[in-house]
Amino acid sequence: MSLPPVTATRHASWKIWENPIFARYCCSRLRARGLGIGLLLTVLIAGFIVAMANSIALHSRMNPADAARTGIIPLLMLQGVILFVLGTAQVAGGMTAERDEGVIDYQRLIPMSPLAKVLGYLFGLPVREYVMVLATLPFTAWSLWRGQVAWETWLPLYGVVFTSGLLYHFTGLLTGTVARNRRWAFLASIGLVFCLYTIIPQIANFGLVFFKYLTITPVFEESLAGLLPSSASAAVKFGQQLAPTVKFFNLDFSEAVSTVFSQGGLILTFVVMLCRKWRRSESHLLGKLWACGFFVWVQLLLLGNALPLIEPGNLFPSRAFMRMVSIRPGWAPAPYEAVAMAGIYGLVTLLLIFLLGGIITPSASRQIQGWRRARKQGASALPRLSDAATGFWAVLFMALTGAFGWFLFTRGLVESRWFPGHVVPLSTLAYFAGVMIMGGLGFQTLLEAKGGRVVVFTAIFAGVVPLMVGSVLGAIPGHFIPLAAWLGGISPVSMPFYAVGSLLSLSELPAEAARAVPRAFHFWLLVGLLLTIWLTIKLWQVRKAMAESVLAQPADLAVSVPAGVS
Amino acid sequence: MHVNGASPEASTAPPAIDIRYLRVDYGDFVAVDDLTLAVPGGEVFGLVGPNGAGKTSTFRVLTTLMEPTYGEVFLDGVDAFEDIETARRIVGYMPDLAPVPTDLKVWEFLEFHATAYGLGSSVQRRDRVAECLEEVALTPQRNSWCKELSRGQTQRVVLAKTLLHRPRVLILDEPASGLDPLARRDLRNSLRKLAQQGATVFVSSHILSELAEMCTSLCVMNRGRLLASGSVDEVRHQLGSTERVLTATLLGRCGEAAEWISAQSGVHEARIIGQQVIFGFKGSDDAQADLMVGLVGLGIRVRAFEEKRSSFEDILVEVAETNRRS
Repeated sequence: MSLPPVTATRHASWKIWENPIFARYCCSRLRARGLGIGLLLTVLIAGFIVAMANSIALHSRMNPADAARTGIIPLLMLQGVILFVLGTAQVAGGMTAERDEGVIDYQRLIPMSPLAKVLGYLFGLPVREYVMVLATLPFTAWSLWRGQVAWETWLPLYGVVFTSGLLYHFTGLLTGTVARNRRWAFLASIGLVFCLYTIIPQIANFGLVFFKYLTITPVFEESLAGLLPSSASAAVKFGQQLAPTVKFFNLDFSEAVSTVFSQGGLILTFVVMLCRKWRRSESHLLGKLWACGFFVWVQLLLLGNALPLIEPGNLFPSRAFMRMVSIRPGWAPAPYEAVAMAGIYGLVTLLLIFLLGGIITPSASRQIQGWRRARKQGASALPRLSDAATGFWAVLFMALTGAFGWFLFTRGLVESRWFPGHVVPLSTLAYFAGVMIMGGLGFQTLLEAKGGRVVVFTAIFAGVVPLMVGSVLGAIPGHFIPLAAWLGGISPVSMPFYAVGSLLSLSELPAEAARAVPRAFHFWLLVGLLLTIWLTIKLWQVRKAMAESVLAQPADLAVSVPAGVS
Repeated sequence: MHVNGASPEASTAPPAIDIRYLRVDYGDFVAVDDLTLAVPGGEVFGLVGPNGAGKTSTFRVLTTLMEPTYGEVFLDGVDAFEDIETARRIVGYMPDLAPVPTDLKVWEFLEFHATAYGLGSSVQRRDRVAECLEEVALTPQRNSWCKELSRGQTQRVVLAKTLLHRPRVLILDEPASGLDPLARRDLRNSLRKLAQQGATVFVSSHILSELAEMCTSLCVMNRGRLLASGSVDEVRHQLGSTERVLTATLLGRCGEAAEWISAQSGVHEARIIGQQVIFGFKGSDDAQADLMVGLVGLGIRVRAFEEKRSSFEDILVEVAETNRRS
């Protein structure tokens, strides 16, 4: 007697309306009781905003079109809070709740493609928030129609609101998938959205313009003049004439296109990460090839958005500040601005290598699994791009690419018309490569050869403590600055600043540090590189021992992890 | 220890569950150590062991929810980690503590899974949901919230969910916990019925007597290692315990009988309680029969002669205690 067959069909990922996970959340999150209260509150607040704005505007003798426009931005803020804050928190919290309750295992086993599962959660978890935003749209539509706002103004803005919402929801989904605790996932996702609107734009002010496009701010600022009453929009238009326009490698894109392009790449990367996690929960978030591609893409965006703004001077922070008051005739950026911006570029590149290197570096158990699998398939080596393969080559590629991007950025700044007579010699590229290899590859080899615990201790005692002690000593009046410079140089994260401070002719270090910083830089760079070479040799020995251990034994024998690998 | 769950008949069909050299490490802790096991199709196979024995880790690997440190798993001949999609269609998994979503009703939960498994049209899905609810005797609770169900009812809902797509291999982690005796009997019958239909059921439990009644064969794990496998009696023998407690109910002359019994080989701790002589005995079945013949031969009138073997629970408690001490 055999089991009666069950006919089973697969779900197409793009048919979101047929997605069982989406349908499941429509069922649970759109129940009359919960949705009713949410909808009622939303409609009340949206109605109040529009009515109040119109009432005040009419009382101020505005014409009806201007009066209608006064409600648009408050409505946009309400929609932002619902979609970005509540929606993201719901996605992160809901995903963690699935894991907390244990039902996520059921979803892992159901025969849907990883992409279908990701899309089901992405649109299903915040479905109530989408409905709440939809409920505010009639008020927005009325304000736009009555305010005679051109579609060229509102369409890109609402398009970017949607893509930004997707980006933040993906962030929440990823946080919820990775974070172990529901409360932490909720807080982390809210914190990320908060950072995107407060901290990230500050980085954009220091030359890394790309980060600005992860928010709706550029498109919002571009659309602002068309959304405000005519009296206010004149002032905004004047301000916009002073504001820089984005030119990705001199291609004159609109802010909306740039934003969608920047966010699109990140969304795609999040999709890849989540699909990998759904396919196999033990998988790395990114494969080696994708990590390298992502790194190159970020470098391209950083350079493409920044380099065209150097010649007009719009990249420099002092210019951005001056724009708010009035630009002095004969304004020129200070040399220290260029040095600091070059240092920040190097630091952000190094941090990105840490992040991606951490993602793609295999643990000892992952490597053993890979070797066992290779042996099972009759191979004598690991596939180069598999999770179990070493992350060494990918990180080396990123270090060299990052150094090259950093060099281009620095040369663009220093050799611009603002600093005549200054050049960045090609030897600087070698130094920059040294800094990236020392920091990035040192981190990667340490992680792969010795494990995460050793990396954490190293990060504390070689990365953070020297910086803290150096800062304290440097703040004491007296002769401690050289000592502080030597101590601070131990930390790999200070190296990009030491490099630009030591190598650029623009650098104007204080007299007390002028001798110590270059010496410390050269000394610690040499030490760091020697340590990295030693760690690379150790890593190769460990990997070789592991491979021999697995490949040499018959399949039925246990394999012990070589000593020294955690 | 490498064993087969039961002696397979002369058949070329691959075992329904084939585990080879399985090892699961959590950092330095070895949860499953070199486990090799083959379970033929149509078996109700039990996995017994104290907490921390490695049962749940084994099940999570079997269901492809966790990749082992090494080792291989084949489900109906399919390499579970080379062809995860097919393996997941073959298997039905009911985890320990059987979680359910708190925001769905019973029918919504089952309908969601029926849709996710693509089980035909909406009418076919509804019929299948009703069938599975009937199977676990939960039809009256169809419209209840999952969060409002009792522990036993929750177990049954998850069992219904597990049965929806008619899996060929059922992995049930502690399915009987929280069930009342009636529900346990129903569960036992359901599993037997599934096995008769060709499904293979791999089930773990702490209710060992239940497992012994439910399973055609079983294995015992402890500290990640397989200790014994086979039928209940075979397992008892493999674990080395043939000791039993015998009770002779007599009509008088209890002191004389106790004295004689104590002098026989294999007997220890004979004591008199009322008209009964109770004593421990370790020996063959023939030797045990000789004891009765001897008593009768002495002219002692024996009203009853009862045997109580060490229970399976006793054996496992002993194993667990030994572990704790070591």
